[in-house]
Amino acid sequence: MAQHNRRNEILAAIGRAPMLSVGAARIIDLAARADHELDDIIDLVKNDAPLTAKLLRIVNSPAYGLLEPATSVERAVSYLGENTVVSIVLEETLGPLLNRPLDGYQSAGGDLWRHDLRVAIAAKEIALLNPRRCQPDTAFTAGLLHDIGKSVLSGFLRDEYHRIIDELMTRAIPDYTAGEREHLGIDHAEVGFTLAENWQLPEIIRMVIRHHHEPALAPEETRALVYTVHLGDILAMMGGYGTGTDNLFYRLDQSYVDWLNFGPGQIGPVMLTVEEKFTETLQVMQLR
Amino acid sequence: MAEIVIGVGGLGASNSKGTTIKTYALGSCVAVVLLDPQTRTVGMVHVALPDSSIRPDKVASLPGYFADTGIPALLQEMRRCGTRGPQGLIVKLAGGAQIMDQNNTFNIGKRNALAAKKILWGFGLAPVAEDLGANFSRTVTLSTDTGVMTLSTPGRPAWHL
Ligand SMILES: [Fe+2]
Ligand SMILES: [Fe+2]
Repeated sequence: MAQHNRRNEILAAIGRAPMLSVGAARIIDLAARADHELDDIIDLVKNDAPLTAKLLRIVNSPAYGLLEPATSVERAVSYLGENTVVSIVLEETLGPLLNRPLDGYQSAGGDLWRHDLRVAIAAKEIALLNPRRCQPDTAFTAGLLHDIGKSVLSGFLRDEYHRIIDELMTRAIPDYTAGEREHLGIDHAEVGFTLAENWQLPEIIRMVIRHHHEPALAPEETRALVYTVHLGDILAMMGGYGTGTDNLFYRLDQSYVDWLNFGPGQIGPVMLTVEEKFTETLQVMQLR
Repeated sequence: MAEIVIGVGGLGASNSKGTTIKTYALGSCVAVVLLDPQTRTVGMVHVALPDSSIRPDKVASLPGYFADTGIPALLQEMRRCGTRGPQGLIVKLAGGAQIMDQNNTFNIGKRNALAAKKILWGFGLAPVAEDLGANFSRTVTLSTDTGVMTLSTPGRPAWHL
């Protein structure tokens, strides 16, 4: 498979990917801390004038129907909530990566971002059922970033995805990431992890990105969160929000039961809640 | 050419010429399609979950979300287009994909398909064609002129049912 191994070329492309803005790096650092509070987010927004202006514009749009216009950062951030603020910041800085069409996955512009949002919302819902094991807002932010590697790997998959699909249909390979590794020498989880290293993202977020398709390999202290995003990812794909050719060609790791309280009876209700919150979040994001 | 797009939990029927009914990316959801050769009416509901008992409050606004309420609602919509009753309707099913999981813990797709069949059975109906399961999401387009269902998934040529 040496002729198909384009690992070095891909690592070089990761090095050319855009850097994260300072504001985005700060908000991700904050969101990854187990003990962070909304006040920390407010302080951060206060030091960022363009972001403050943008958040005020959103809360004061007619859709929010505020009786009196919000003029303070405190009020704007408490109306919008941490997750929406993080989504707005990340979409602003990573938009060019997250919103472009992924030819190698045959998915349209915006599909990856919608998938990420859906996973973030689902991961948070699962975390809310496990509050002592998993910080819900950290789960949300990790969900938004879990598939960032696809944005770089896509360009290299254009001539390979047909073969990967054929191999999956004949069950010659166990899942889509195995196809990526076989044909390109690296999968989207490792690409994302390397990107996250370059961006110096917090350890816990890096581990989610690296192990979201094989959570059992994550370091023990991060495993509950990695399983949470693993399941959130699966619920998003089941809900019809995947990213294209990879479809639902991923494995469920049954050992989630050792790490999370999430029974079969909770799948339906959580899927419905995710559907509702996703629609609400998209509406807010459109107000930008 | 008119196109009716059905969202998650949505439903619709039509007998006007040149119309297509389309639903995107079914995932574990199931599209139940009804065809009436008498009045040339076609209808579709995009079912997301088997049973409305988990959230009865949702039924009034989105009956199509659940198999048990979606199929009766679609039959009603078909009657609005002139269809007489369940007898004589042709049924097709598509969707119900699943993640790779031997234990079927997360197999909502299979449960959706089973629930749909059970409800249809109650009306004396059974599918003549189905494209269910596997690990890929399906987009379905239905033509009022021919009653043909076209299915597609990213990266592969479309096929018919
Ligand atoms: Fe992934
Ligand atoms: Fe994903």
